[in-house]
Amino acid sequence: MSDPKDILPTLIKDRGSLHPINHMKDSIMNLLVSFGFEIIDGPEIETEEFNFDMLNIKKSHPARQMHDTFYVDGKSNLLRTHTSPVQIRGMLNRTPPLAFISGGKVYRKDDDATHLPMFHQVEGIYVDEDISFAQLKDLIYKIIFSIFGDHVKLRFRPSYFPFTEPSAEVDILSKEGKWLEILGCGIVNPIVLDNCEIDSKKYSGLAFGLGVERIAMLMHDVNDIRDFYKSNLDFLSQFK
Amino acid sequence: MKIAYSHIVKFIKEAPSIERLSESLFHLGHEHEVIDGVFDMEFTPNRGDCLSVNGLLRDLAVFFTVELNQEIYKKEINKLDIDFKNLSKNICPQVSFLRLEIESIPKKYSHYLENYFKELGVNKNNFFTDISNFLSYETGQPTHCYDAKKMNGELIFHETTHAVEFETLLNKKITLSKKNAVFSLNNDVINLAGVIGGKSTACDNNTKTVLVECAYFQPESIIGKSVNYDIQSDASHKFERGVDPDCQENVLRRFIQIVSEHTNIKDISLVSYKKNDLSKHKIPVDIKKINKIIGINISKEEYLDHLIKLGFCIKDDFIIVPSYRSDIKTHNDLAEEVARVIGYDNIDLVSISIPNKENINLMNIENKLRYFLLDHGFYEVINSPFVGSISKDAIKVDNPLDSNRQYLRTNITDSLLGNLLYNEKRQKDSVKFFEISDIYFSKKDSSISRNIAIIASGRLGLNYEDFSRKINKNYFEKIFKEILPNQTFDFNIISREELDTKINSEIISLEININSISSEILSYKELSTPPERFNQYSQISEHPSSFKDISYSIKDYGKTIELQELLLNYKNDIIQHVYIFDYYKNEKKKEIKIGFRFIFQAKKTTLTSLEIDEVYDEILKSSLKIKGVTIPGLL
Repeated sequence: MSDPKDILPTLIKDRGSLHPINHMKDSIMNLLVSFGFEIIDGPEIETEEFNFDMLNIKKSHPARQMHDTFYVDGKSNLLRTHTSPVQIRGMLNRTPPLAFISGGKVYRKDDDATHLPMFHQVEGIYVDEDISFAQLKDLIYKIIFSIFGDHVKLRFRPSYFPFTEPSAEVDILSKEGKWLEILGCGIVNPIVLDNCEIDSKKYSGLAFGLGVERIAMLMHDVNDIRDFYKSNLDFLSQFK
Repeated sequence: MKIAYSHIVKFIKEAPSIERLSESLFHLGHEHEVIDGVFDMEFTPNRGDCLSVNGLLRDLAVFFTVELNQEIYKKEINKLDIDFKNLSKNICPQVSFLRLEIESIPKKYSHYLENYFKELGVNKNNFFTDISNFLSYETGQPTHCYDAKKMNGELIFHETTHAVEFETLLNKKITLSKKNAVFSLNNDVINLAGVIGGKSTACDNNTKTVLVECAYFQPESIIGKSVNYDIQSDASHKFERGVDPDCQENVLRRFIQIVSEHTNIKDISLVSYKKNDLSKHKIPVDIKKINKIIGINISKEEYLDHLIKLGFCIKDDFIIVPSYRSDIKTHNDLAEEVARVIGYDNIDLVSISIPNKENINLMNIENKLRYFLLDHGFYEVINSPFVGSISKDAIKVDNPLDSNRQYLRTNITDSLLGNLLYNEKRQKDSVKFFEISDIYFSKKDSSISRNIAIIASGRLGLNYEDFSRKINKNYFEKIFKEILPNQTFDFNIISREELDTKINSEIISLEININSISSEILSYKELSTPPERFNQYSQISEHPSSFKDISYSIKDYGKTIELQELLLNYKNDIIQHVYIFDYYKNEKKKEIKIGFRFIFQAKKTTLTSLEIDEVYDEILKSSLKIKGVTIPGLL
């Protein structure tokens, strides 16, 4: 007969898991920190000035309408629609070179199978002398290869954001042969630098923003964005 | 916007295939789908100038020889005598009116006009409105047709200052509230400017004399109107994005030309009102700047050649921006034009290196806490901040999605309690959650707090040590003492009396500000690590689960591990989870008792007891093949 000391069954202590969206956000942020970016934070309740005006989003822009943005406190403030105002706060009172990222919750007035009123973004900005679109491309390649592997095919498409010019959207080619939008990026509009009291004649910048849910859905093969927020243990326990 | 391939290609000398044209459009950044010979275009909001056949051709001219040869009426036209006042020239700096009388209404349209309706599946309306719609498609400039016989009196363009009733030409009655740019006839609103005309002055199938209005409206005064009044119109889509402020008279001359190709014109008169003569925007030629922004090295000649093909003029070392390109203001805008022409994917990478900051410690108090909780079986959740209940200090959302989401939550615990009850209803008997989030209050002095909230109830864990132990305050106090021996926490027991549940396990919770956590936690050595790879998610079942327990007796102790290996790795589609819930060694009897719990659940159906029993029997058979392993009481 075997020695009784050797027969204890394995004690399996159930470990919990990070939320897959936070895990993805942390992974992206850690990657960007390794590239030299510094993490900065900002409030989710913002002013129109920081969320729109400073970013060259004109008063007439559709995004500022009540049907797209959540306003609070009798329209004196709003729930930030992107993490870009954090970058504005970061740029104020600092001098280039500066490179920082911010990640967190953002809010838009959407609610359907593919859009939620709350989702997560990670954005980055790098301001220095002589920053070019070709360098931005290099950085984006590095980011996407690090997340999806260097076998992935990507393409840059001209796009429009009031705070970058030129602007681009970047797609990756899925296994099924479909182009999927992954991030938006561009050269910081000199108006935005001037708004932050950074001399746009001397300095230029690049900026990019990723939707965390979008990337998490692709990486984990989750089809319905709402699954992330049901707090279902059968779902959460798959991301250990 | 839908644009037919055949309507584009007839103006291109090289006559490219639809595939080639599609490729060129993508190259220029114009997203689209091709469906049955029609491009369904999706333009970025700054490219209102592309919302027409001519607009798209102007961009394609960078790759092809484009011949825009549509005829316009060139003869001199009498000045229209109209009783018109423009009281809001800032909103409408340019407007032209054309009065046109025809002999008879044509019964048949010429090929190109007929083809427009056919290829795009557009419904016909009446002769003048049909031409107006075609012109908007061809030139990008909307026009509005009034039945001239209904237009007697004083016509005024102005902004409303109070609520006004208005009936659209599509018979929709709306109340125009606050400021709206409108045309009024004898003080009655007859046109919501830039959006839709009114019923009272609309053309019909008998209209032979038309008054055509062709204007430029500042986009800022049009934006939001169509959404506010739930009126989607081609005109509002174009005016919101900005039309060419310098094309109105030409478009009306094109209108006359098309009419003249269908019927005899009895009388024409035209008048234009302009606030100021338009001065064209100029940007100095600076190739160094362009090369620097993009990170390329092209010659000045190549740069200017690209711009000229896009319709820009070069004069005295200045780039003159065409009137339809209101989006071009700076060198960065011009750099984007050049980059589009070159192709974003054709721009070579230039290596970038960001100066590294000093090492950033990512394991701060917040992250240490997260990993400590993971080690104790807690799952991190993220909840929506929107709640329906009114609580003191809650911030109200001015424009909520619905009444159940009209406030921002003032605590996380209520959300976690909802998560816990949801999982208990899904037959989970051990639930441990935590969430970290900013919480906002309307209080002026402390409006933001970064909180961590923890909740747990049920079994301590799903293993033979913890299965029979229930989560209580002592458990929380014990695990927190491990990492924060000098800090006390006020753990809360949430009463189940008011809750919709039959379960009676204690619910323990804690919610505190992250800043109140002692830095002692930084010395905690976490066991959990983030997953090395991103797991492929497997669709969870919405069907009920059920469980079966099997208790074994083992005389040959060495068989314990063999049995464990077999059962914990037992594969079957309906087995969702297996764990050891009981283990006892009876030294006197020299016997080990070990209990396994099997959770059964199917992905797509509710399991029958027969289906479960089949798998259960297979498990029994397999396990009993191990010598020295028995199931007491099993016949």
